[in-house]
Amino acid sequence: MVAYADSIAPRRAIALRVRGWLWVALIASCILSLTTGATGVTLWDALVALLTPAELPLSSKVVLWDIRLPRMLMAMVVGASLAVSGAVMQGLFRNPLADPGIVGVSAGAGTGAVVAIVLGGAMPFAALGPWLVPVAAAAGAWATIMVLYLIATRRGVTAIATLLLAGIAIAALAGALSGVLIYAADDTQLRDLTFWGLGSLAGATWTKLLAAGPLMLAGLACARPLARGLNGLALGEAAAHHIGLPVQRLKRLAILSTAAATGAAVAVSGGIGFVGIVVPHLLRLISGPDHEELLPNAALMGASLLLLADLISRVIVAPAELPIGIVTATLGGPFFLWLLLRGRTFGGL
Amino acid sequence: MLIANDIHVRLGHKEILRGVTTSFAPAQVSVIVGPNGSGKTTLLRALTAELPCAGQITLNGHDIRATPAWKLAAIRAVLPQSTVLTFPFTVAEVVRLGQMGGIGAGGPDRTVEALNRVGLQSYGERFYSDLSGGEQQRVQLARVLLQVWRPVGPDGSPRWLILDEPVSSLDIGHQLMVMQIARDFADQGGGVVAVMHDLNLSAMFADHMVLMRNGRIAVQGLVREVLVDHHLSAAYGCGLRVGVTPPEQPLFVLPQAALTED
Amino acid sequence: MRWLALIALLPTGVAAQETPRVLSLGGAVTEIVYALGAGEALVGRDQTSTYPAQAEALLDVGYVRRLSPEGILSVDPTLILAEAGAGPAETVTLMEGAGVPWITIPGGYDADTVPAKVHAVADALGLQEQGDALAAELTQQLADAQAAAPDQPLKVMFVMSLQAGRVMAAGQDTAANGMITLAGAQNAITSFDGYKQLTDEAILTAAPDVILMMAQAGDHAVTNADLQAHPALGATPAAQNEAVIRMDGMYLLGFGPRTPAAIRDLSARLSALQPEAG
Repeated sequence: MVAYADSIAPRRAIALRVRGWLWVALIASCILSLTTGATGVTLWDALVALLTPAELPLSSKVVLWDIRLPRMLMAMVVGASLAVSGAVMQGLFRNPLADPGIVGVSAGAGTGAVVAIVLGGAMPFAALGPWLVPVAAAAGAWATIMVLYLIATRRGVTAIATLLLAGIAIAALAGALSGVLIYAADDTQLRDLTFWGLGSLAGATWTKLLAAGPLMLAGLACARPLARGLNGLALGEAAAHHIGLPVQRLKRLAILSTAAATGAAVAVSGGIGFVGIVVPHLLRLISGPDHEELLPNAALMGASLLLLADLISRVIVAPAELPIGIVTATLGGPFFLWLLLRGRTFGGL
Repeated sequence: MLIANDIHVRLGHKEILRGVTTSFAPAQVSVIVGPNGSGKTTLLRALTAELPCAGQITLNGHDIRATPAWKLAAIRAVLPQSTVLTFPFTVAEVVRLGQMGGIGAGGPDRTVEALNRVGLQSYGERFYSDLSGGEQQRVQLARVLLQVWRPVGPDGSPRWLILDEPVSSLDIGHQLMVMQIARDFADQGGGVVAVMHDLNLSAMFADHMVLMRNGRIAVQGLVREVLVDHHLSAAYGCGLRVGVTPPEQPLFVLPQAALTED
Repeated sequence: MRWLALIALLPTGVAAQETPRVLSLGGAVTEIVYALGAGEALVGRDQTSTYPAQAEALLDVGYVRRLSPEGILSVDPTLILAEAGAGPAETVTLMEGAGVPWITIPGGYDADTVPAKVHAVADALGLQEQGDALAAELTQQLADAQAAAPDQPLKVMFVMSLQAGRVMAAGQDTAANGMITLAGAQNAITSFDGYKQLTDEAILTAAPDVILMMAQAGDHAVTNADLQAHPALGATPAAQNEAVIRMDGMYLLGFGPRTPAAIRDLSARLSALQPEAG
């Protein structure tokens, strides 16, 4: 028992301490996010708005309630979704570089968005108005997952290698389709496409949050009970079955969870990269690969990270705004390269 | 009992197992031997429901393909040839995975005891991926032991260790150690089925032997019935002579380059 | 609804008591506001509003299609004048929620566009008289400019950008197409709408007599040598004769108060090329 405490408890203890700090970071990021912005609406105004909403000028109320608050919640849920989806995919594929992007979910969502932007006027869905792009992106993500599943699953067995290769092929196909559509796009559409591709939370409204939020939360809720199974899956599919895990059900749930969370996140925020790969990596370095600790910590860290990235994107060129994808790529790209270099030196990430 | 009845396995157009019928008894060490490509590992993977196959396999009376994974995990543990982990798990964390399903679930933590059994008591904190292949193999054995733990269940039914080349990457000292663990498990009433390359180690520790050739069973039975010059020479396609070491009479096999089949 | 009340209070002329704080989104809109003499009401602008020079001093809320709602509110406008296509839609909705009226100024690429924009801006500012006067003046100038622009048998290709050898050119239904037509020439590209990349063969088929471009400084500047070095562009009559016209982007394509002058300018420069190109 002594040796047990020596061997396992330290990492558990670190993970729990990390979780404590992540909660602190999340709360701090939330307060920062609510109280910082291009307008001078402050924490004090926020308190006034909470207590006596009538005393606040209309525009301040709009800034707090209709702009910053939904945006804060959106950043949290999108960040958590991207980070947890990354962790789940990496566990599922036993590949620390796997990411929803790799199995083509993001590419599928992107193609859905491109289709909507370019053909939007001609489609019968034009009535969806501002909803058209997000809805089409989510549909693209789902369609991609379903096609992948049909291709890679034989007699109820999903071959991970086939899934990965099919994901690469589908991403290429989706890219080609996007390319054709982009060629057909006019100038206005091209600009929309570029900015959607860079990612932004600028469009976060209550309506979008209420539509996409539950989907992401459902994905996150499905991910939580996968933790034990993902630990077992680290031994390989066969060994996971031998230790008593319902491997097929596990994989199906992991895929659905990722599709829901990533599809909805990509739909409302465009291409926000690196969160799904950097957050789980960093946490594994700090407190080990145990998914029971990794998944909740990834949710917290992803939420904080995106809140801070969004904050930077809002204030750095205020009153204009930088797409958040540029911020996460600027922060995440070098960090990821560092991880890779470090991994090469120390033998495995 | 672990019973396989008329097992066929196809991979693409090739039929790897062509009608294998055999049975393994508890309280025995059974080994599956045969030349490369004879279907030993395929048979093992069919026996663990890892591969789809035609025919029927029952373990303690349960049809293994109709039994949920958690139920099977409680009565048999499987040691793969080798296991590569991509994430930086510690040795203790890997061993503890054995307790996730099966009978160990929710019970007291026996990680340290299991590591003791394989001679790795001080390795709990080390990273699995930093260990040598042989050490990793023993960590996996500890995990497998932890999964079934006692050779006989509370209802008196045997539990099973199914081992795929358990000594392939071990030095001779640890080969003996691992085989002794299997022997002890069988002596206490559990069933052991192992795919082996080393005929001499098999002769030393096994009771029952299945000799495979070309996807079929060439001979099966007691070790001394199978380890016969002409069976081996026919199966392996080379000259082999079986001898006896006095006084305890384990058999040994010597390759005889000059000999040909008579 | 607040802005209606505001305008009702100000039947003519700019604010006696309360000056509106106007955010102008779109280069031509900003120019019109200044031309109407209401420049001092402006508190913010978008990235493209760089003329007249005083506009540069205003707070820049960024790219007109990706406006941040809080960014807009931070300049505390009481009225937003936006060119067609400004957005995104979420931002527009939020501005309505915040009680800041969002007036969309109609777009278009023909001679009627300019007075229509002027009327829309003037109405929103409560400056109908000034608007009528300016619109009438511009309409007259446009008519004069068109009258002065002789029809010329020239095929003009507007090259939006030349990046990594890929030519992005203006098709039909673009500001560039509108200006080429108003100046009496023909757009060399008739097969598509909007701006698109051209294949080399499409460039050779179009065989423009003149290449029209936006004047750009620094690294983005495309020299005649660059054009001649391009495998397809280099083979066109325009490149061989160095019949290349460069004009300021907003001046040429804005469809604002400077458009009559831009038409004269373009027409004159086309005429100057005529003997060579013909």
